[in-house]
Amino acid sequence: MEFFGLLQGLGIEGATGLMFAMLLVLLVTGIPLAYVTLLVALIFALGWFGPMAVPLITSRVYSFVSSFVFVSVPMFVLMAAILDRSGIARDLFDAMRLFGGRLRGGIAIQTILVAVILAAMSGIIGGEVVLLGLIALPQMLRLGYDKNLAIGVVCAGGALGTMVPPSIVLIIYGLTANVSIGDLFTAAFIPGLMLAGFYVAYVLIRAYLNPAMAPVVEGPRASTAEKLRLAKGLFLPILVVIGVLGSIYGGIASVTEASAVGVLGVTLSTMIRGEFTIGLMKAAALQTLQTVGMIVWIGIGATALVGVFNLMGGIKFVSALITGISDEPVIVLLFMMALLFVLGMFLDWVGIALLTMPIFVPIITSMGYDPVWFGVVFCMNMQMSFLSPPFGPAAFYLKSVAPPDISLGDIFRSLLPFIGLQALAVAVLILFPAIAIY
Amino acid sequence: MTEDHTDITPPRDEGGPIPEAGWLGRAIDRVGIVFAVGIIIAMLILIQEVVLRYFFNRPTIWAHETTVFLSGVAFVYGGLYCTARDSHIRVVLIYDQLGPKLRRAFDVVISIICGLSAAMFTWAAWIMVSRAAFAPTGEIRIERSGSAWNPVYPGLIKIFLMLVLGVMTVQFAILAVNYARGRR
Amino acid sequence: QDYSFRFQSSDPAGNPNFELQKQWAESVAELTDGRVTVELLPVDSIVAHNETQDAIAAGILDGHITDTSYFAGKDPAFGLIANPVGAWSDPQQMFDFVEQGGGHELMDELLSPYGLEFIGVSTPGLEAFVSNVPLEGVEDLKGLKLRAPEGLVQQVFAAAGAAPVNLPGSEVFTSLDKGVIDAADYSVFSVNHAQGMHDVAAHPVYPGFHSMPLVEVSMNEAKWDELPDDLKGIMEESVKQFAQNQIASLKEADQAALEEANASGEITVHDWSDEERAKFRQIAMGEWEKVAVRSENAQKVYDTLTGYLTENGLIAE
Ligand code: NA
Ligand code: NA
Repeated sequence: MEFFGLLQGLGIEGATGLMFAMLLVLLVTGIPLAYVTLLVALIFALGWFGPMAVPLITSRVYSFVSSFVFVSVPMFVLMAAILDRSGIARDLFDAMRLFGGRLRGGIAIQTILVAVILAAMSGIIGGEVVLLGLIALPQMLRLGYDKNLAIGVVCAGGALGTMVPPSIVLIIYGLTANVSIGDLFTAAFIPGLMLAGFYVAYVLIRAYLNPAMAPVVEGPRASTAEKLRLAKGLFLPILVVIGVLGSIYGGIASVTEASAVGVLGVTLSTMIRGEFTIGLMKAAALQTLQTVGMIVWIGIGATALVGVFNLMGGIKFVSALITGISDEPVIVLLFMMALLFVLGMFLDWVGIALLTMPIFVPIITSMGYDPVWFGVVFCMNMQMSFLSPPFGPAAFYLKSVAPPDISLGDIFRSLLPFIGLQALAVAVLILFPAIAIY
Repeated sequence: MTEDHTDITPPRDEGGPIPEAGWLGRAIDRVGIVFAVGIIIAMLILIQEVVLRYFFNRPTIWAHETTVFLSGVAFVYGGLYCTARDSHIRVVLIYDQLGPKLRRAFDVVISIICGLSAAMFTWAAWIMVSRAAFAPTGEIRIERSGSAWNPVYPGLIKIFLMLVLGVMTVQFAILAVNYARGRR
Repeated sequence: QDYSFRFQSSDPAGNPNFELQKQWAESVAELTDGRVTVELLPVDSIVAHNETQDAIAAGILDGHITDTSYFAGKDPAFGLIANPVGAWSDPQQMFDFVEQGGGHELMDELLSPYGLEFIGVSTPGLEAFVSNVPLEGVEDLKGLKLRAPEGLVQQVFAAAGAAPVNLPGSEVFTSLDKGVIDAADYSVFSVNHAQGMHDVAAHPVYPGFHSMPLVEVSMNEAKWDELPDDLKGIMEESVKQFAQNQIASLKEADQAALEEANASGEITVHDWSDEERAKFRQIAMGEWEKVAVRSENAQKVYDTLTGYLTENGLIAE
């Protein structure tokens, strides 16, 4: 067939442009998006090379599904599905309302705090977005919060998982750049909290400017007896959190194993509350199968595309883009940030790291910047990639569990201000490196 | 506090395969429970590993590989499961603007394109399996992990991936036919 | 006619091994006056580290520079030849075995059915051992929770009474830091040091006693056969130079890192006595036999290897 190898005529620049255009066009036709990326990967494998290159896609799919770090995804989703089916989540939020309900935006702020705690339990995102999407989003909507604000908090908060240590993004960066993972974790801690702080500040500002966005508890204060009854809702969730964090920081379980500890904790909680049934577990497990099917196949598409793009010479292409851009280090740095942002719109962070880090890190070091600091900047930049359209994994993860009347358009619209906050955090980190390396 | 805590929530709708997925869709949906239970088993295995290692200083050599295997097959099957339920995330920006006839045409064309891709991937997976299930001499030899325990999980996941892609091809074909017939 | 090949490494881009492999790729172009160019890609960029053999056979990649033990799942022989724990106390011994002791022929025989041509061998050298408890000898391994790579290394540690834990490389750091594991097989001393392993595990054993991987440079057999003989010769020679360059460079880096570690005052480097090393080797050799019976090729590797070691006085009869 003539088609095989035909795309090589476009050159890598043209082919990259065509690839991104094709992703966009196929995306809006309504093809399931996991298959959009797989299809584009297939078209370029055939069009640039020929049928012999296609097994590289199945090989990457195999390696992707059999990687240990992803084991925590079904664990977090299962935890969420069990919580969702029990009364734990509802009681938790009722209790939270008791303590934060009189502060404008209090529940959203508490959700961000929960997100930070979840981030300290996990090194990846996906599970957390699903968990918050199943638990916090319906509760915030129930309590009358503005839909956009609630969506933004859940998505951006859920994405903190890779910004707060432990973080697989920082680990992969550390391996690629040959810098200390411990130093990276230490350096990322304050910037991660800073980003969460930005979210909190944003919620407060929005809520006070427009009180309708975040209703507060009206009426007389609850009696002590009522308070005690509601506070019981906090007890079991806090115990589970202590169990998970304790098993990680006490050296009992690895980060991935700790996610299973969380599932066990939540299951035991339903037993204590008398809500546990085989039917509940069965339904929760089936929902987990469906949700991880969606999440993982989005990742499968992304990993396939990256493999094909690398084989086409993607790394060389990025290298050609960056060389000779300027002698001014700041310009080079800003160009890198812009490039990471654009790539982040279309590719997932693993692909971006594979594509850019071999080129960026040596340049960064030779310009006299600290590679540890740059790792944190990279990690912060990748926060935007989780949220930015058209390919924003966090938005997709939320969509997989959000009420059907919330469209992807709603989600992306809600995320724009949060992407702005992330960009601000990147800028602050570049202007004041001391936030990371003190 | 006026919240009513005693309200009984009606049994939730857990969804199901779409009618257009046909008999195969229903079968895929029913088999899903096997892999869903696998996820729970994976959780229990991780817990017992933590207990054996931390309290008894006797980590197993099989727990992690088995967990990865159970998760891996669940991931792969999950994609097929979502296909039968049409629950994969779709951007319906244009699709939602279409009339019922055009929408049906879109469904047919999308199913055909996805089916052809799945067929191509099944073939590619066969190339992979031919190296994972057979030694160069041609005799059957399932690829192992090479660990001290050395299970055949890598070979099994590869074979499973090929089978699922094959079933997915058939599922898309059934979807295309049923969409074209306008069966509801 | 000019040839251009795409190789994938089993190391990530910033790893010193990758830098040295890149120098090799450049040297090939130089030595052949640009008639052969090699583009070297980091691990995972096209396929995963343990999938390169298939990708080369399928013609997706042209070649790889990789630890042969990643393919132990295909044939235990790959695991045995790549890391006969305890067999070598110096890289040169392994190079001699490959070049004069029948190792090259063995690799040819093992790889050919998979459609690969063995060009040459290298190694990062004796890997250092990362530990957060002091280890002075085999006795201290009893009950030690350690992360070891797949295959023979894990088996030998288990035979020595340790409790090997399966963990992916990405979880080694946090697990050591929090004490989930006590020790880990990771990389050579300088790389361990740079990646902060010694910050969380202050009792490294250097030089290591457990592992010296055989890193193969190999490529698609059909594409190799197309090369004229003079280019084949230059390629083989270039790998020999690369091997010498790699062990010299890493040794230097290890020495520098060692001085830094000693000067820090917080890291205690342990060095095992010859006696303890011999004990560990004895345990290892018991495990070789167990691997040998797993496949015909593994038996062949075992026979050739033990024959060579005995002949050269490296092990007693
Ligand atoms: Na985290
Ligand atoms: Na994005």
